[in-house]
Amino acid sequence: MNLPGRMLKRALLFSSLICFVAAFSHGAESDSQTVRVRIGTILASNQSDEIDPRLNAMKNQLKVMKYRSYRLLKEETKNVSWQGNAAFDIPGGRSLVVTPQEFRNKQLALKVRLQHGDKPVVDTIVRLNNGGNFLLGGPQHEGGVLVLSISAAAQ
Amino acid sequence: MELSDSELVLKCQAGEIDAFQELVLRYQQKIFIVIVGLLRNREDAMEVAQEAFFRAYRKIKSFQGGSSFYTWLYRIAVNLAIDSQRKQKRTPLDFRDTMDGLFEEQNEVAKDPFSDVQDRELREKLVSAINDLTPEHKAVIILRTIEGLSYRDIGEILGCSEGTVMSRLHYARKKLQQKLSGFL
Amino acid sequence: MRNCEDIRESLGVWLDGELSLADAEVIRLHLENCAACDEQRRQWVKLDVSLKSLTESNVRQVDFEPFWRGVQERIAKQRAWHTELLEWFHSAFAGPGLAWAVPAVILIIIGVLSFDSFWKLRGQRNNFSAVESIDAHGRNVALLREDETKTTVIWLYQNQEGEDESSGENVETSPAF
Repeated sequence: MNLPGRMLKRALLFSSLICFVAAFSHGAESDSQTVRVRIGTILASNQSDEIDPRLNAMKNQLKVMKYRSYRLLKEETKNVSWQGNAAFDIPGGRSLVVTPQEFRNKQLALKVRLQHGDKPVVDTIVRLNNGGNFLLGGPQHEGGVLVLSISAAAQ
Repeated sequence: MELSDSELVLKCQAGEIDAFQELVLRYQQKIFIVIVGLLRNREDAMEVAQEAFFRAYRKIKSFQGGSSFYTWLYRIAVNLAIDSQRKQKRTPLDFRDTMDGLFEEQNEVAKDPFSDVQDRELREKLVSAINDLTPEHKAVIILRTIEGLSYRDIGEILGCSEGTVMSRLHYARKKLQQKLSGFL
Repeated sequence: MRNCEDIRESLGVWLDGELSLADAEVIRLHLENCAACDEQRRQWVKLDVSLKSLTESNVRQVDFEPFWRGVQERIAKQRAWHTELLEWFHSAFAGPGLAWAVPAVILIIIGVLSFDSFWKLRGQRNNFSAVESIDAHGRNVALLREDETKTTVIWLYQNQEGEDESSGENVETSPAF
């Protein structure tokens, strides 16, 4: 067989293989066993003009709040199974519980509860892109407010 | 006037099966010798040799003349024989039986280098020593000593460099010499 | 290349006629004067001759008359469909490297296009998320979306009953959205 014929054969074979793998990987996405939840605890204030260099990647996200200073207090990551609870300590006697609900159309649904002690502050269900994040802010802390960056990725 | 291999190949590629028959007649013995040297059974060697020519016929249109026809043909045959040898489950003694079988029809005692008792022992030892070589070492020694092919041609057939052919030949000869010490 | 070890290493190549004329001459002269190396030469020649005699002269007595018929039968015979398929696959994966270039390129392009992170640029990724439900337990809450990254911001306003630990300091808690 001549060269173009061989190339056409291989192109057909590889395309079929890729379609098969793509179909399989799409199915495999919804078969993920755990979710990696990452919480970034940020202190936003107007006490200075400094932005923590570790937050450079989030600058565009944070600017909507128009504080002059942002400092990353801590970052924590936990793997949790679907419907399982991942609990995070938040400064000021607070805690955040994240419960991944489902994964559909490349989006995760997260149930999120912020508590102050035993008292619920907010309960919300947010649907976000796999690996994406959203911000939960407002609780006061040390002359500023806490902004929580909540992100999740299916494993 | 006898046609060259290239001319016959061109005719084959044009669909002339008579041209392919001519190539078969030209190389059937050479191919058989190589294969029977690698395998341990004459019947198997016949089958593999015929299969080698059949595969050459199937692939003849893809033969682009990058190498000579006979090295291309040898390559098909040796690869088939090595694959077949790996699948074989016969014991090394079968090779000796086979080689004895090859000598059955020998009539001219005077030309038999093994007519002498000591030489007969050499033959038996030689058969056993060859069997102990790996298929790759056996292939180089057969292609060189029996077929008289150059290192370049052997390298083309086996898909290795001339340096590899050289070192495999050296290793095979040393091994055979060690096993046949006292008989050579 | 003068000592016996070197000579014996090259003996096979010399016997096979694969050495240059100059190197061949060196070996020839050495063999004329070294009995040990010449003995090795003699043994290797006998080895070659024995090997050749072992097969060649007797193969001539093998009947090759049916050989071509055997090949013809194979050519004429219909091959099993699965053998054809296997050969098709085999021929698809054999051949010069250049024929791999196009399918490899297709593979790379498809891989890149389907790889989500290819589109992820810092600060410009579509970070769209949707708040399906929210219960702020009596607090005021604002939902915002940052324009550039489409990031969702859930903002909790201070509870009038003072749920936080503030010591009375005048803290600016409301962001100027």
